[in-house]
Amino acid sequence: MKTKDPTLKILVLLSIVLLTVTYVLPMYVVVVTSLKTPPEISKRQYLLPSGNLHFENYAQAFKLSASSLINSSIISFAVTAIAIFIGGLGGYYLSRSRSLLAKTLFILVGIALYLPYQVILIPLVQIMAKTRLALTHFGLIGSYLILNVPLASVLMGTFFIGIPRELEEAAEVDGASRIQIFFRVISPVALPAYASTAIIIFTQVWNEFLLALTLSTPYTTTIQVKLAEVKGSFLALYNIQMAAALIALLVPLVFFLALGQYFIKGILAGALKG
Amino acid sequence: MSTLNQVNKTQVNQVERPGWKRKRRPRREFSLVDFLVFLLPLLLLVILLYGMLGWTFYVSFADWSGVAPNYTFAGLKWYKMMASLDRFWVDVRNNLKWLILGVVPTVVIALFIAYLLEIGSIRGLESYVRTLILYPVAMSFLVSGTIWSWMYEPNKGVFNTILRGLGLDFLTGRFATNPSTATYWLILVFLWQYLGFAVIILQSSFRTTELQEMVEAAIVDGASRLRILIQVIIPNIRGGILILVSLLLISSLKVFDIVYIVTFGGPGYSTDVLSLHMLIATFQQHLVALGAGLGVIIFAMAFIIVIPYTIYAFRKWFE
Repeated sequence: MKTKDPTLKILVLLSIVLLTVTYVLPMYVVVVTSLKTPPEISKRQYLLPSGNLHFENYAQAFKLSASSLINSSIISFAVTAIAIFIGGLGGYYLSRSRSLLAKTLFILVGIALYLPYQVILIPLVQIMAKTRLALTHFGLIGSYLILNVPLASVLMGTFFIGIPRELEEAAEVDGASRIQIFFRVISPVALPAYASTAIIIFTQVWNEFLLALTLSTPYTTTIQVKLAEVKGSFLALYNIQMAAALIALLVPLVFFLALGQYFIKGILAGALKG
Repeated sequence: MSTLNQVNKTQVNQVERPGWKRKRRPRREFSLVDFLVFLLPLLLLVILLYGMLGWTFYVSFADWSGVAPNYTFAGLKWYKMMASLDRFWVDVRNNLKWLILGVVPTVVIALFIAYLLEIGSIRGLESYVRTLILYPVAMSFLVSGTIWSWMYEPNKGVFNTILRGLGLDFLTGRFATNPSTATYWLILVFLWQYLGFAVIILQSSFRTTELQEMVEAAIVDGASRLRILIQVIIPNIRGGILILVSLLLISSLKVFDIVYIVTFGGPGYSTDVLSLHMLIATFQQHLVALGAGLGVIIFAMAFIIVIPYTIYAFRKWFE
């Protein structure tokens, strides 16, 4: 599809420049603002960094958010690990069985895949309050599992469908059981798929706000809830707000930059292109 | 010529795949133990999920207002109350704005960017552009909302400062604090964040051998690039567009974080959406039945959106 037409090439370059400005400017402004003092910000010179960089803004924002970073890490890693394990098992069943049960379950899972969380919020809050799970990390972990395992199953299943059946047939001839085949043959081949699914689920849980807001207690406050608190209580201190926003972004951003290919494969699997 | 090509390809495929006959063998079904290991955890979670869905449905017909649960059946009482609220209709209008303006411009712009990337033969630039426009996908709406509140801030914020600096004072605005246009500025944040996501999905749709061959043929025939996009590419990536539109619709329907953090539904309730109203009704006003009803409305909209996606996925999966 490549072109040699010079006007088209210029058009391509122009749009890349435009995109660069659109996507770099906000981040640049955030970083610059996060390193200033409030009086410096009031001078309205956003595009230039100030003379001295005030890293103490980060120290302050980090002090505010340290415990919520730990909570978010515990919750996100736990949900990711359990979700890809259960999702891998379920996704394998959905990708290999043609029974009526598999087909029915697939439709139920398909509808649940992108369920608006509002629909189960009231029961969740009731259950968490009754069982006192809300006081521990298990409350949010359990809630996120219910909502993310369907997605993990479909993502994993999309990858499993692409694994040639010959692999399993060879093991079947040797008399291996389904479970052995899954753990010894399929799972090792599917490690990249697990990585893709994990990074999608992790980002989703880390970034989730609605459930975290309604279900978290002071002991389990997540980083997103903390960011909302910081934004609400440091109204005029844009430097602290921006530093806190960057801290909240840091973990998923590092994963994205380090594992970008897996991230993209996960997105494409969600669009059923695995 | 093209039919000949297709015939050849089918033959080649059959020759190249030695195991194709074995595929006819009946698949081994799952034993009870397999069933328990593979299926039970997922099945239990799905049952739990649908149980809670049913629970919310029932609450929306109950007479629950106040902190303590009240499951007395009240019929459509709270739905009638909902329909009489001005705020509800503002929500519906705003949600429709989100659904249309969050999706159509995103898809159109993404199509052009994906196409330009595809035809622009500049090496190494593709991975640069991918990283550039995709990093916001790793960002929460809370983070992007915080960042964009700062861009939009009317007095000291970034946009107005830049505009003043360029001497374009007449273009400065109140952005997210102007009740009549605030929702559009919120939607712009969503567009900014999901553009890369849309480009990635469309790009992968372009990359099928059949489509590439068709485009080459159209180039030989002397069709213009724009005509190729409209008459050859778009009709042939309908599947990809359908999935993308469903995913964007559902994301823009679920969006509540951007509204919460940038305007909290304000000024007044001019930027309110159903999902924020649901939260406020349930946990601030303690009109739990009303909140459940709003949840049911949101679910109904999501359900309609997700049906084409599910059917498409089902066909692809069990084909």
